[in-house]
Amino acid sequence: MTNDPIDLATLRSGARLAGFEWTDAELEEIRPQVEAALRLFRVLEAVPIGDAEPTTLYRTV
Amino acid sequence: MAELFWASMTELARLIATKAVSPVEVVQVHLDRIAALDADLRAYITVCADAALEAARAAEAALAAGQPVGPLHGVPYALKDLYDTAGVRTTGGSKIFAERIPATDATVARRLARAGGILLGKLNMVEFAYGPEGLNTHYGHARNPWDRGRHRMAGGSSSGSGVGVAAGLAPGTLGSDTGGSIRIPASLCGITGLKPTYGRVSRAGVLPLAWSMDHVGPMTRTAADCALMLGAIAGYDPADASTSVLPVPDYLAALTGDVRGLRVGLLRSFFLEGATAEVRTAVEAAAKILTAAGAVVDEVSLETVKYVPATALAVVGSEALAYHAELLRTRAAEYDPDIARRLRVGAFVGGAHYVRAQQARALVRAEVDGVLARRDVLLAPSTPITAPAVDERQTTLGDGPSDVRSALIRFTRPFNVSGHPACAVPCGFTAGGLPIGMQLVGRPFDEATVLRAADAFQRLTDFHTRRPVA
Repeated sequence: MTNDPIDLATLRSGARLAGFEWTDAELEEIRPQVEAALRLFRVLEAVPIGDAEPTTLYRTV
Repeated sequence: MAELFWASMTELARLIATKAVSPVEVVQVHLDRIAALDADLRAYITVCADAALEAARAAEAALAAGQPVGPLHGVPYALKDLYDTAGVRTTGGSKIFAERIPATDATVARRLARAGGILLGKLNMVEFAYGPEGLNTHYGHARNPWDRGRHRMAGGSSSGSGVGVAAGLAPGTLGSDTGGSIRIPASLCGITGLKPTYGRVSRAGVLPLAWSMDHVGPMTRTAADCALMLGAIAGYDPADASTSVLPVPDYLAALTGDVRGLRVGLLRSFFLEGATAEVRTAVEAAAKILTAAGAVVDEVSLETVKYVPATALAVVGSEALAYHAELLRTRAAEYDPDIARRLRVGAFVGGAHYVRAQQARALVRAEVDGVLARRDVLLAPSTPITAPAVDERQTTLGDGPSDVRSALIRFTRPFNVSGHPACAVPCGFTAGGLPIGMQLVGRPFDEATVLRAADAFQRLTDFHTRRPVA
């Protein structure tokens, strides 16, 4: 994952892929938070997951 | 009884059961208190005065007729305004749901009513529970009652629950806790709040923030009252697939006052070291009090806490966006702009990151389980700071500067990620008179031990008995 700043076109594409049509102003507002989130997710990629299964437990009885 | 509004739920239940006081009197005292103070404190979004008095009269009649009664018979309580209540609006703290009136009760609301509790009203909260400061631009910021000179944060997201209980506007409430939303306001408002184990209490009929991290739990002035409320709401619910079939123990019976031999792991690295000096000193003093009472305290650390911020962001960001996607498309302008911005960030969490975060949770949970294999409870501050002013955005912790939002959730969120039970308890006051909170964390489904330790601490101290000027 890149540490580079995210440009508006990338934000727009990401939002569209997720099913949202947000205005450029709305996207500009969240740009710092998105960049911070993506930096944070580098931590996730470095977690030594091993063979841990995701926590998705649903009891049915 | 002039100060009936300061009586605990267990005391009220006893007084009512023995007919020393009438449920009508108890409810009226609380309604009067709400009328006198809540315009300033803003703990409530909706007050159910007529329905509460009608229920109180029915409770009085049932007692007079000698009918069997539940453990909360005639005892008033309030609910964070994200619990569905049949016929009573449930706003989620949002303008979008201002007129949303559910047809049915949340499972826990039904269980409290079945136990004889009387609903006083619905409590203020952060819009859709998405934030720890306790601010709400739609219904007004709840005001921390411990500082009359300055508007300080109540903590959130269960802000009205913290303020209402601390100021005597309700003896007990239910909050909800996704990253600390029970324990943070409990800490900042000087009350007791329990986040049970994930799966101990039903979330059916509770507006979600993040399904896999949302926990339902009581907020009261004593650990004994948390035990009383938990006993009424805990247990399997076919309407919530995450609830456990494990039997519900008698939590009140577990409160022996005895901590001799109790093994307590004091979390220093990241937790105590990250707290301000006054908070650190208070929690260290609490550890000494427990030691003097016979507990065996040693120091422990949790290495996986470094994964928690990224893990929680990926999980909560994704799940919250999933719930709000349609509303964000159609009614975005009606959200608090700050809430809308943070919800939108969830669109940039990839599916692989979400799954990886859920895998990381397994590591966090395994480490906490491992530490608790040789200890009965862990001890840490609930929050690294005491109540900030409502306009405060930056703070200084024991290990450096931090924004207030990150600081508030720093110590609580690990146990939402792991799912372990955690009880916030008052453990001191700053020189300026603001409450300090600590949390006791236990093994999965061992709320009984957590509450026993919390209750024993409260028998040894008086922090939970002090009242704000209000």
